[in-house]
Order: sequence, then C-alpha cells, then structure tokens
Amino acid sequence: MLSLTLADISVSYPGLATPALEIGRLAIPAGTHVAITGASGSGKSTFVNIATGLERARQGRIDWSGTDIVKLSESRRDRWRAENVGLIMQDFHLFPGLSALENVLLPARLAGATSAKIIGRAHDLLKRTGLDRPEQRIETMSRGEMQRVAVARALLRKPGVIIADEPTASLDVESGEAVGTLLLELANQEKSTLIVVSHDVRLTDRLQRKITFNLGQIISDTGAVERAA
Amino acid sequence: MIRFILADLRKYWLGSAVIVLIVALAVALGVAVTLQERALRLGSARAADRFDLVIGAAGSENQLVLSSVFLQASPLPLMDGQVLTALSADPRVAWAAPIGFGDSFRGYPIVGTTTALVHSLAGGLSDGKVFAREGEAVIGASVTLKLGDQIKPMHGSAEEGGHTHTELAYRVAGRLKPTGTAWDRAVLVPIQAVWHIHGMGGHHDEVEEGDHHDEHGQVVETHEEDAHHAANPDAPVDETWDAAVPGLPAILVKPKTIADAYKLRQQYRAGATLAVFPAEVLTRLYATLGDAKRVLFAVAAGSQTLVAASLLLVTVMHVGQRRRQIGALRAFGAPRRALFSIVWLELFVLVALGLVLGFALGFAAALAISGIVAGGSGVSMPVGFTREDIGFAAALFAFAALISSVPAILAYRQPPASALRG
Repeated sequence: MLSLTLADISVSYPGLATPALEIGRLAIPAGTHVAITGASGSGKSTFVNIATGLERARQGRIDWSGTDIVKLSESRRDRWRAENVGLIMQDFHLFPGLSALENVLLPARLAGATSAKIIGRAHDLLKRTGLDRPEQRIETMSRGEMQRVAVARALLRKPGVIIADEPTASLDVESGEAVGTLLLELANQEKSTLIVVSHDVRLTDRLQRKITFNLGQIISDTGAVERAA
Repeated sequence: MIRFILADLRKYWLGSAVIVLIVALAVALGVAVTLQERALRLGSARAADRFDLVIGAAGSENQLVLSSVFLQASPLPLMDGQVLTALSADPRVAWAAPIGFGDSFRGYPIVGTTTALVHSLAGGLSDGKVFAREGEAVIGASVTLKLGDQIKPMHGSAEEGGHTHTELAYRVAGRLKPTGTAWDRAVLVPIQAVWHIHGMGGHHDEVEEGDHHDEHGQVVETHEEDAHHAANPDAPVDETWDAAVPGLPAILVKPKTIADAYKLRQQYRAGATLAVFPAEVLTRLYATLGDAKRVLFAVAAGSQTLVAASLLLVTVMHVGQRRRQIGALRAFGAPRRALFSIVWLELFVLVALGLVLGFALGFAAALAISGIVAGGSGVSMPVGFTREDIGFAAALFAFAALISSVPAILAYRQPPASALRG
C-alpha cells in the first residue's frame, strides 16, 4: 500500500503557453480510492505519466511512501514502476498471438521476475477476474474479457498502487460496470491504493474521493477539505 | 520472450517473409558468384592437369590449349608431321600422342589419336577394349552410346551444315572411365582413320600432303572419290610414325621428368612450333578473368549494401509503427534491455534465416550452373565451400548482428510515455 505526495509539480510542453499540469501540493493517503476527472486536455494523462514515472518531472517532488521518483534514473524508475505500480489502460495493450495467461505473465517474464509462485498467482488472478480459460488466445476474447486480463496483469506483482487510465471508456456499459466493480473489489482485497482516471460518472461516483482537473490545475477535490481541516 | 517474438513474427509474417527472401537473394548472388568462380578455376585446372605439355604449330597459345584440352573446335594451324616422328624417338618423352579434330557425331567431337593417349587419359577403360582396328572407337564416359554402336562421322558439326562421311563408320569398342574433363564427351578413334577418311597421307599411302587443308589447318574435304578410298575398317592400327606423317594440329606430350618437360618446352617454342604447359596458359587466362570477377563481386557487394540499407529503412519504420507496443511493454514493467533484445532478436532471426537460405540458394544455383556447363562441355566444375567461406559467413552474421542493433537501440531509447500518447 503506497501513499503519494506531490509537491511543486509543473509540466510544460514546447509550444504551449500554459503548463499542461501544475500542482502545488497533492496528497493521496495509502489505501484510498481516488477518482481523477476532467475534460480531455485537462492534464489527466500528464498526471498519470508523471505519477508513474513514465515521463520525467523536471521539478518538484513525487513521493511514493518515501521514494521520490523524480530523483531516480530512467532504468531505476522502470524497475520501481514494475514492482510498485499496476497499470490499466483504455486500450488494454494486450498482445495478440499469446494466451490470456501469457499476457498476464509477459511483463514479469521480460523483467525476469517469474517464479512458480507468480505463475500460480496469475492463474488465481484470472480466476478471480472471472476468466476460466487461461489458455484462450487473447484475440478471441471480448473487450470486457480483455480488460479483465489487463486487470489481472496489473495486479500480478502485488503493486502498492493500481492506476487505471480510462479503464471503462472503450467498453459497453455492462462490461464497464463489471470492470469497475472488479477494480474496487480487487483493490480492497489486495489492500492497494487505487487511482482511477475517468470521466465515466458511474465509475467515479463509486470512489471515496474525486479530484477534478481543468487546464492543468486541480479545480476541485472532495478529499482535500477533510485534510485541510 | 521467445513465444512473444514468435507471436510477433507470425503477426508480421508477410513482411518477415519478404525480408528473409530479399536477404536470401542478395546473399545467394554473392555466394553463387564466389562458388562458380572457384568451380570454374578448379574444374578447368583439373581438366588441364592431365596434359603436361602440348605442342602445336606457331600461333595462339590460348587457342592451342582450348582446342586440345577443352576440345573447343577452332581452326588450328598445322605443324609438320616430322615433329611427331622426332618426339616419338626422343628419349625424354614417355609418350607423344597426336590429335586430329574436325569430325563429330551427334554433337560429340571425334578426336583422332593413339592408343597411348587412350590408355593414360582416364586411367583405364570402364568397359570394352581400346581400339585395335581403324574402324573402332573408344568413347568418353558421358557419351550416350553403347558398345557395338555405329558412329558415322560427320564432317564439321551439324550446326555448321557438315555432311556425313560415307567412307567409314566406327564401331564402339570401349568406354573410358570418367575424367571430369571435356574428353568425357569425346569419341576417340585411331588418328590414321581420320587421315584416311580425309584422304590425307597415312604413312603407307601416297597422298601428297599440303593441298588438303586450308591455311587454318582445318581438314578440308577434297570431295574426290579417290581420296576417300583408303579407309578400311579392318585395317590394324599402326602407330609407327615415319616420314610420311601428315600435318598435325596438336601433339600431347608426356615428358619423363619435370626437367625434361621444361627442356622440351624450350626446344619446341622455337621456329615453326609452339609448346605450352596448359596449366600455365590457364593461369594467365584467370588473371584476365580476374577483372571480370572483380566486377561481379562489386555487383554482388553493391546489391548486398542496397539490401542492408533498405533493411535498415524498413526496420526503423517498423519500430516507429510499434512505438505504442514498445511503450506499453515498458509501462507494464519490461526493462529496457528486454525490449532491446526483443527487437534485436526479431530482426537478427530474420536476417540470419535469410543468410542461411541465401547460402543454400547460392549453392544450388552454382550446382545448377556447373551442371549446365558440364552437360555442354564435359568439364566437371566442382562446387564446394572452403575454409575462407566460413570467414565470409561469419562476417555476414556479424554484420547482421550490427544492422539489427540499430532498430533495437531506437526501441531502447524510446521514452515510454511518448510511445503511449495518442
């Protein structure tokens, strides 16, 4: 379970007058479930990129339970992310030609982190996400099933934080509901911090705290009030 | 990782197959040129090996060697028959065999010669016996005739519109063992029969000499009935050379020692005759061919460079197309070195496959060309890899490894976030 503290973050891109993301201070306590919403271009994706270390923040502090990933080298950040972050994306990013199980195990295999225990956990996770054919080829699955495989993959190495970027946006309402429920359940069971970036109100309304971005700034935060108090 | 690479290659199987094919073709070109050049050199050197010294009338050395060793019919000037008489009596000579050309049968050259040459040419007969009568013939290993078959000599060759001799038909008496030379396609007959058919002064006949061949020395038909009467198929072969030996295009000489060979060559290089070591003439011919070989190699190398360049272009574009996939793998925790290995291995496997296939194709092409050459000329051209080819192959594989690392480095350096965006 990881907590996140952001301080003095400012990300700008060449050719843009205003910063894509500017956060003075943001704290997400360990184990909380947070929704991040906002229109497209509001800075949600940039937030995911810098919070996971996919993109390097040039200034400020991104402190995950004591590890400031701004200070880590690129390879160290990759390793930290592999061990601590479970990522789920809108487009699944699953690899055709491989089975559900192989997809779940692929990143761990490439990182040389597979063991009998990990493989057992992969089987277990697939079962818990409601998939009972781990050998099924990924391209023969429905989109809802694919996102379940992606969820199982994200959870494989018991990450301290699960970050889902628009996990339901490319699913129909029913599958979206199911995936949302699954995410919340698993985050509870695994005792992971959960950050869901989404503008799917049905999903964000089910989370404890909602942070809204606009033009790179936080314009509302339902949890900040308590903390300020 | 291997399963992932295989799945990836399966997904892009068409492009992968094209890459393998292009590499294979470029490599095959280079390999075929190398092998074929070597086969030509080896094959013709082996063919010349059997002939220590060739003596002919003063003229072109190359033509003398091509006609006598490779039986490529070309009009040779004639030398005085006395030369044979002198050589036969020379103590430095193991044997000296005259050869006379001009006739053919179904495309096989008919060569008039002596039993000495027949005995030593192929190290013996595989079948039958050496000719003992004027009407008998010994055929080379590749001549598709049977013992006892009749051979009706045709003057010149069918393509040149020659006519068939009616004076004498040979009967196949024996077959030589294979030699891997042009002589495998030859029909060997007693030279006295050739002389008789063409009405030239066999030693006991009285036909005067000189009028029956043109200045190029090719046997010329006189078309006079009386010039053709001397051939008698049952006459025994007589190989004593006296003063009446007619003009000869070439004499193959087996000297007793190497020193004798050099002395004989020295002696017969003067005046109206020419003496050559076929191997030496061939070496000089290869030197000339060397330039052609360099051009061929340049063409092959150029095509390989082009292929390497296009390969780079294709793979760099391919990595560009896979930005999202590569970025996603990193986002999910694959280390950069794993991505480097994946991209590198994928390309290297394809190029290496192409290389292997290319060597096989080149080998097959060289074999096919050698087969065609052997069928046409009888000269067997041995196709084979040698030690130096290992170096060539190793260099190619090293280059493939280097080429493959370019897109791999691109993949390695690609930031994961920019790969995922959009």
